[in-house]
Amino acid sequence: MTTESYDLFLEKLLARTGRDESATIPILQGIQEHFHYLPEPVLRRASELTGITLGHLVSVGSFYHQFRFKPTGRHRLRVCHGTACHVKSSENIQEAIQRALLIPAGDDTSPDGEFTVERVACLGCCTLAPAVQIDHTTYGHLAPDTVEMMLDDFRATRHQTVSDVDAVSCHHQNGNKPEIRVGLGSCCMAKGSDELFHLLRHTVKEFGLDIPVKRVGCVGMCHQTPIVEIRLPHKPPAFYAKVTPEQAEGIIRRHFPPANLTRRLTRWINRTLEELVTAENPLEKLDQHQLLMESQPVERFLGRQVRIATEGFGEMDPLDLDEYIAHDGFKALQTALTRAPEDLIAEITASGLRGRGGAGFPTGLKWSHVLHAPSQDGTKYVIVNGDEGDPGAFMDRMLMESFPYRVIEGMMIGAHCVGAKEGYIYVRAEYPRAVSRLREAIRRMTEHGLLNHFRLHIFEGAGAFVCGEATALVESIEGHRGIPRLKPPRLAESGLWGRPTLLNNVETFAMVPWIIRHGAARFAALGTPKSKGTKVFALAGKINRAGLIEVPMGITIREIVEEIGGGVPNGKRFKAVQIGGPSGGCIPASLSHTPVDFEALTEAGAMMGSGGLVVLDEDDCMVDVARYFMSFLRNESCGQCTFCRIGTTRMWEILDRICNGKGRPSDLDDLKQLATFTEQASMCGLGKSAPNPVLSTLRYFHDEYDAHLQGRCPAGRCKPLIQYVVQENCTGCTICAQHCPANAIPITPYQRHKIDPEKCTRCDVCRTDCPVGAIHIESGGQKTAGHLHKESPAHLALVHP
Amino acid sequence: MITLTIDGQPVTVPEGSTILDAARALGLNIPTLCFLAGVKDNHPSCMACVVRVTGQWNLQPACATKARNGMIVASETPEVKAARKAALELLLSDHLGDCISVCQRVCPARMEIPEVIRLVAAGKMQDAIARVKENVVFPGVLGRICRAPCEMGCRRRQYDGAVAIQLIEREVANLDAAAPHRFVPTCAPPTGKRVAVVGAGATGLSAAFFLLKRGHKVTAFDAATEPGGQMRQANLPREVLDADIATIGAIGLEFRGNTRLGREVTLDELRRDYHAVILAVGPMAKTNHADLGVPATEKMIKVSAKDFQTEIPGVFAGGSCIRNGWDPARSVGDGHLLAESVDAFLAARPWQIAPKEFTTTIPKLSPAEYRELGKGANSELSVRELVSEAEKAAGRCCHCDCRAAADCKLRLYAAAYGADPKKFAGERRRLFEVIRQPGGVIFEPGKCISCGICVAIAEQAREPLGLVFIGRGFDVKVGVPLNASLADGLRKVGADCVKHCPTGALAFESAEPPRRTI
Repeated sequence: MTTESYDLFLEKLLARTGRDESATIPILQGIQEHFHYLPEPVLRRASELTGITLGHLVSVGSFYHQFRFKPTGRHRLRVCHGTACHVKSSENIQEAIQRALLIPAGDDTSPDGEFTVERVACLGCCTLAPAVQIDHTTYGHLAPDTVEMMLDDFRATRHQTVSDVDAVSCHHQNGNKPEIRVGLGSCCMAKGSDELFHLLRHTVKEFGLDIPVKRVGCVGMCHQTPIVEIRLPHKPPAFYAKVTPEQAEGIIRRHFPPANLTRRLTRWINRTLEELVTAENPLEKLDQHQLLMESQPVERFLGRQVRIATEGFGEMDPLDLDEYIAHDGFKALQTALTRAPEDLIAEITASGLRGRGGAGFPTGLKWSHVLHAPSQDGTKYVIVNGDEGDPGAFMDRMLMESFPYRVIEGMMIGAHCVGAKEGYIYVRAEYPRAVSRLREAIRRMTEHGLLNHFRLHIFEGAGAFVCGEATALVESIEGHRGIPRLKPPRLAESGLWGRPTLLNNVETFAMVPWIIRHGAARFAALGTPKSKGTKVFALAGKINRAGLIEVPMGITIREIVEEIGGGVPNGKRFKAVQIGGPSGGCIPASLSHTPVDFEALTEAGAMMGSGGLVVLDEDDCMVDVARYFMSFLRNESCGQCTFCRIGTTRMWEILDRICNGKGRPSDLDDLKQLATFTEQASMCGLGKSAPNPVLSTLRYFHDEYDAHLQGRCPAGRCKPLIQYVVQENCTGCTICAQHCPANAIPITPYQRHKIDPEKCTRCDVCRTDCPVGAIHIESGGQKTAGHLHKESPAHLALVHP
Repeated sequence: MITLTIDGQPVTVPEGSTILDAARALGLNIPTLCFLAGVKDNHPSCMACVVRVTGQWNLQPACATKARNGMIVASETPEVKAARKAALELLLSDHLGDCISVCQRVCPARMEIPEVIRLVAAGKMQDAIARVKENVVFPGVLGRICRAPCEMGCRRRQYDGAVAIQLIEREVANLDAAAPHRFVPTCAPPTGKRVAVVGAGATGLSAAFFLLKRGHKVTAFDAATEPGGQMRQANLPREVLDADIATIGAIGLEFRGNTRLGREVTLDELRRDYHAVILAVGPMAKTNHADLGVPATEKMIKVSAKDFQTEIPGVFAGGSCIRNGWDPARSVGDGHLLAESVDAFLAARPWQIAPKEFTTTIPKLSPAEYRELGKGANSELSVRELVSEAEKAAGRCCHCDCRAAADCKLRLYAAAYGADPKKFAGERRRLFEVIRQPGGVIFEPGKCISCGICVAIAEQAREPLGLVFIGRGFDVKVGVPLNASLADGLRKVGADCVKHCPTGALAFESAEPPRRTI
């Protein structure tokens, strides 16, 4: 490319982004999107054309993980290392991929330049853990030995793209007409819902039926996706779970026989012939997948839930404006506009709503601060914080994907209350579908004249967890590195560009319309004395029914795990929940009577956080969990305050040492000291809460730390402390020996196999592949709990728009 | 105006002042590393200035926290001090450099080796001999028989062999000995005090030299006919020892040979006739204990570890008579310390041996880093016509000692707070790297503590490239973007950045460091 063609590209880009320093991140995103990295000559030219210093462009670019300064391979493969993926051994997946692609240690791109492999903090599809994203395709439930399958699948199908936006249907139905609903949240999409959606539409058309096939937002039952719901007049809805494309036709046929007799005959003949060839009838399996609403697990999963932020769950087409309005959408805004801000704020205050981003600041009070804060020129801003960075959390993604109008409505009510005429929705870069749906929602609202008096922007984050911190987020919108500011002044006094700014989390805003419509009292009637209403949680990890739930505050952890989530799978023992992400902590099973309540969780050493709830079982090593979070935090610290920048790394090194069996007697004291000072002397919420994973595991699982100091990992997780041992029931089938990537198992047919501990890399392939379960993990000469369950390899995939 | 209380003292400051402003108004010394008024005063990062504000659950950075009416601040509590110390220790754990070079640290004679080497490399031989004789009165001797631990510790040794420090010392001494006008130190005006030194070996003569320099009258007694002690038996040309001793004679040493303590003269007599007595009688094995008149064990005279004083007031001892074995460099060092102790005693000033100077230490480096270190050798020297072996040797010195050791804020506060540089030492550390421009600013990223002052200065000056933060988290580094040169990065504000850098990360390459005080 020549300078001239750079200019052509850049001029076009700059026309869209503007040339101010505040456009730094969008400019870099444009360059990155086009070149897949930030080439130096382009940056130089961009600097010349905008007047933004080259130093600024580079410094900002280096802060956010989205940007690269080196060319990438043709495809970007991102391995998720979120909490749920981590506890399901994402490290083993990472290693297997590196191995399969022959990527040398220390490098990230395959020698043939096909793939660049990156680690990402969380893809936000925790129910698919462990998950990998290749370009826009997501694969989940991987195991080391299905990695090759995944790569082959990607190579075979990468040219297929299925668009999201073109599929938008506008059928608006009342309850008396039949319709077919397909959940199309990101998790569902990753499990093939989109493919299914198109197939269902195609089949319906082929059958000559006039039944709308409708995409709906997240259904919440992520453990059952893809889910198809059949609505028929005067009949209870029928749910089909884990539907495969082959089953689509059967479902339609069962509920809607083809209208035209000839077509029916043609279909029957074709089908019969096909079955003769394949000798398999997918319909036979259909029944076992049908979920009846009244069936116990579904009832238990949904029964305790209360829908406020997620009202209309699995019913509405996320982008259908008419449907949203028909479901009382924008009614609250209409009411609000006729009421005085003070009056509305009093309502919010009376509802007891507290910020759902984690810290639980009273929402009414915050709004009132912004309302009364003087602004030099009268300008105020409102920001939706959709930078959901906690590994293990995906509530905000779901809300933005499934209820974009509701989030915007709540935001506009907030704007009206505080006197803001302009607002930003800050969405993290890893959520492309949330961005596209919000953009489309804004487009449609603009078309309908709903945004005539409010300027609404979408700001895409660029991959920095710390930007979930309010002041860092503001810095980021202003075009800077996401470095938190010292508070006070709070954003309410001096926020975006120095103006009073109202910043609330996605979920907080999503609750507002309901409160205005139903009144503060109904909201306040739910929950505990200090924590009112409901909370949305992303339930993931070692749990039977993972998914997205909205529950009344005050519900206990046990109720969530056992009743809603159906307990821990595979007969394992429930050990703890990690709640609140990196800022939160681990609450042991013995304290599972703890209610979900801001104060109670903090008391227990965790934190509400944004609502990630990862269930851990006996296979999970708590020291490893602490190390995992510290590793996350040390990478995500902005690097400003000494304690957070260096302290988290030193804590991580100590934890790493302990996990590797090289702990020293003084380590626990040093850990405690570092944790205390990091909590005490860091400036922002990230640093202040960074020690929580260490402090809470030290508090409840001290015995595991002690065991590690003695060279034993009770959970059988920490690789240097474990050995793989073949048991007597080995049949000598040689599968393990054939599959071992390290050649640590000699091929000895019909004899009990032996694993050479020197060669063994603890990749877990042999154990997961052993057909008779003869390979166990031992540590310190003792059998460990460590018998990770191998998920049935689920292939999934589809394409983000 | 705002009134607040810091450590119990009320103070009134103008609206908008910070806690730091208020503390400074009270004369309190709150450490700050990352703060620069008007440039970087709103993004605290080092956390060395934390204070406890009553009513706040966590510690607050004093430099950026606004003072409020009625605020109650604690700045010197054990908790606050511990937090500051921990902050300093964490910064030190990610700070790669030798405050003081190893050669200097291990030199028993405390010769200022790096400075001497730099003077030699610059061809300033007169200045070099003067600098040597500030600590070492026997450069000719030590240049030949010293065990030279300095060369064992030389950082360059790992790369391609140590700098020949002993050779440099010897050559400096040779040049002086052959000069028509030899080096003679200037002495302080006479004090009227008299000191007796018993034993005219390396320790005694060294002590005599430094006492004479301070204006005291010194008489040295020795059983032998000539001064020199064990040095006379060493494998040395006679003229070398005589030349070294001549310098002491030149400033007025009175020597009484053939005078043995306990025979020709007694300790009581010396105590009566002199204001102080130094016993530097050599190895106890060769001494009759009863003759000494001071409490001693089989092997050594009992002295206080603080000031070399024996159990008899005014009587001091040092050198081989208080140690096992003979190390001439150690004796020379003892002599110097004895002189300082006695000088203080004569002035009735409290004195004790200074604790070890605070220093951070470069750990074992990788071969690539040693190569980088090797590039630190004096580049100007290679283009100049070499005149001597000493200069050639001196030109190989890599200047691993820190240019900012005297005024580095990190070092000063670390010493003040008793911070242990190894407390939180981890596996991950910065790389040894030196970015230099000939004759200009030198940047050692290993010493950078990411305080951001230079970044803020460059940004304020709208430097097109500047120094910027690159990356984030633990791996965040300050650097010139896109691997451009330092000259390109700092076109306007290089000097400013050097001036305000709280460590030695940014310095002028040619700057002669000021003398350290700690």
